[in-house]
Amino acid sequence: MAWDGTLTPMPANEAFASKIQVFEPHRASLPPLIPYIKEFWTRRTFAIELARFSDKAEYLDSRLGKVWLVLNPLLLGFVYYLVVTIIRPGGSLPGLTRLDHLLIGLFTFYFAQNCVTAGALSITMGGRLILNQAFPRALLPFSCAIQAFQQFLPTIPVYIFVLLVGKWAYPTTQLPGWTWNFLWIPFILVCTGLTGFGLALVFATLNVYFRDTNKLLTYITRIWMYLSPVLWLPESLRGNMKVLLYINPLGPVLNATSRVWISGESLNNSTIFWCLFWAAASIMIGGYFFISRERDFAIRI
Amino acid sequence: MPQDLAIRIEDLSITYKVSLEAKRTLKNAVMRASLKQKERTRTIEAVKHLSLDLPHGSVLGIVGSNGAGKSTLMRSIAGILSPTEGRIIVNGKISTLLALGVGFNPALSGRDNIILGGLASGLNMDEISNKTDEIAEFAALPDGFIDLPVRTYSSGMYGRLSFAVAVSMTPDILLLDEALSAGDAAFKEKSFERMRQLCAEARTILIVSHALATVTDLCDVAIWMHKGALVAKGKPEQIVDDYLKFLNVGSLPSNYEDM
Repeated sequence: MAWDGTLTPMPANEAFASKIQVFEPHRASLPPLIPYIKEFWTRRTFAIELARFSDKAEYLDSRLGKVWLVLNPLLLGFVYYLVVTIIRPGGSLPGLTRLDHLLIGLFTFYFAQNCVTAGALSITMGGRLILNQAFPRALLPFSCAIQAFQQFLPTIPVYIFVLLVGKWAYPTTQLPGWTWNFLWIPFILVCTGLTGFGLALVFATLNVYFRDTNKLLTYITRIWMYLSPVLWLPESLRGNMKVLLYINPLGPVLNATSRVWISGESLNNSTIFWCLFWAAASIMIGGYFFISRERDFAIRI
Repeated sequence: MPQDLAIRIEDLSITYKVSLEAKRTLKNAVMRASLKQKERTRTIEAVKHLSLDLPHGSVLGIVGSNGAGKSTLMRSIAGILSPTEGRIIVNGKISTLLALGVGFNPALSGRDNIILGGLASGLNMDEISNKTDEIAEFAALPDGFIDLPVRTYSSGMYGRLSFAVAVSMTPDILLLDEALSAGDAAFKEKSFERMRQLCAEARTILIVSHALATVTDLCDVAIWMHKGALVAKGKPEQIVDDYLKFLNVGSLPSNYEDM
């Protein structure tokens, strides 16, 4: 070394002792999980505010602004209602019940789908953040899941409004009024959000390695919706086809959605188990896949 | 690691493979698999066997040509890139300013971006709320601009706001990559003043700069990197002098050839 200068070390700040970080080589394995989860929790405000500001920026230049949050799913529901009534006119369900089942099914499905599609892009689109700041990368898909939830929330009053108008217009409808079974709804939404977030972690990682994953996802989500009890009722499945409700990560939550919102029933143990199973499986598989590879993201982007 | 050290780098090497394909896609992967071909890649040795100890309170300047590994070194110290070999131990809270406007959303106002940028840098909401006015004042934006979308800012205003957010933190270690080039002469002087203030508070600062005067003015120690390797470490004036000679001559000085 050519240097012969002297550097007087400054007195060490005692607080530094608790902030020692060691960066070492790694293979595709999980980093220490407890510090990771602590850091994730400490910086959750970043994910929440990122979701809030992304939402704000998305509708800033639109004349109707956040009204689109309600209009969009409502128009979508109307389109699918036309499709369903044209394909199966006079099906087993009365028109209002069919419309309500379709609406709440679509709203819930799109909540999960938005978690996955926006989350899948969150890493490749967040390149500047990934390259220039160190933070748990899972915060980016998490932020997308929060944003999807924020965009889902306004659809609930819309659904309730449609339901009330329907009950007023058709007093004989079988649709339930207030029931304590509605207390299952937060459970269903938490399971939907966790499943969506877990799947977002999988697709976000895949999208880093294969940039056309997102194109494929467009078709996957469309097929996924047709295989989910959104356009059809869970009870309409017969025999071996019932397996569709269990091998589909969103099958159990959409089944539960229909059971609580449309039938006003409580959830049985089997439905609760499968909702929890897919939420836990998605988080564990997605979490492992994502976190074990996230240290490579800065190189791959 | 001794408590007086802010950063210890032990035999650090960072190597990575870059794909020679125009785009990595699932379609290409399937095609390659069907033809039993391997992906064409190139191995980049960005940092080679670099060791360095940096005491608390040092201001380290890093000089070197493009591709020398300076930014890779900074990112590895920040924990953004992992070492391939060796180890980095960092003793303190790090703040980075490796690029301008990280975390910013051009559609949002300066005020909103202060919150986003601050949160991205690791500040919490209370800290940001307390500092918003201070940051806006430091960035010296014209009247009313703080509430306008950042996409309406000039590049100088954008740079000043980014810089103001980064230095609003009170990190133990601050990593700056060409950030001092933000703004005009008056803002540069203000930036230097803030740097000196941070140094006086015993912060450790690492500066990557092609503006060699910055290195000699602000730093008390400098390193010169070339093609991923550490060529020399020493007093900034000496390092800058040797580096300038190298730039003029085009080859390493004979006393560095063995390094």
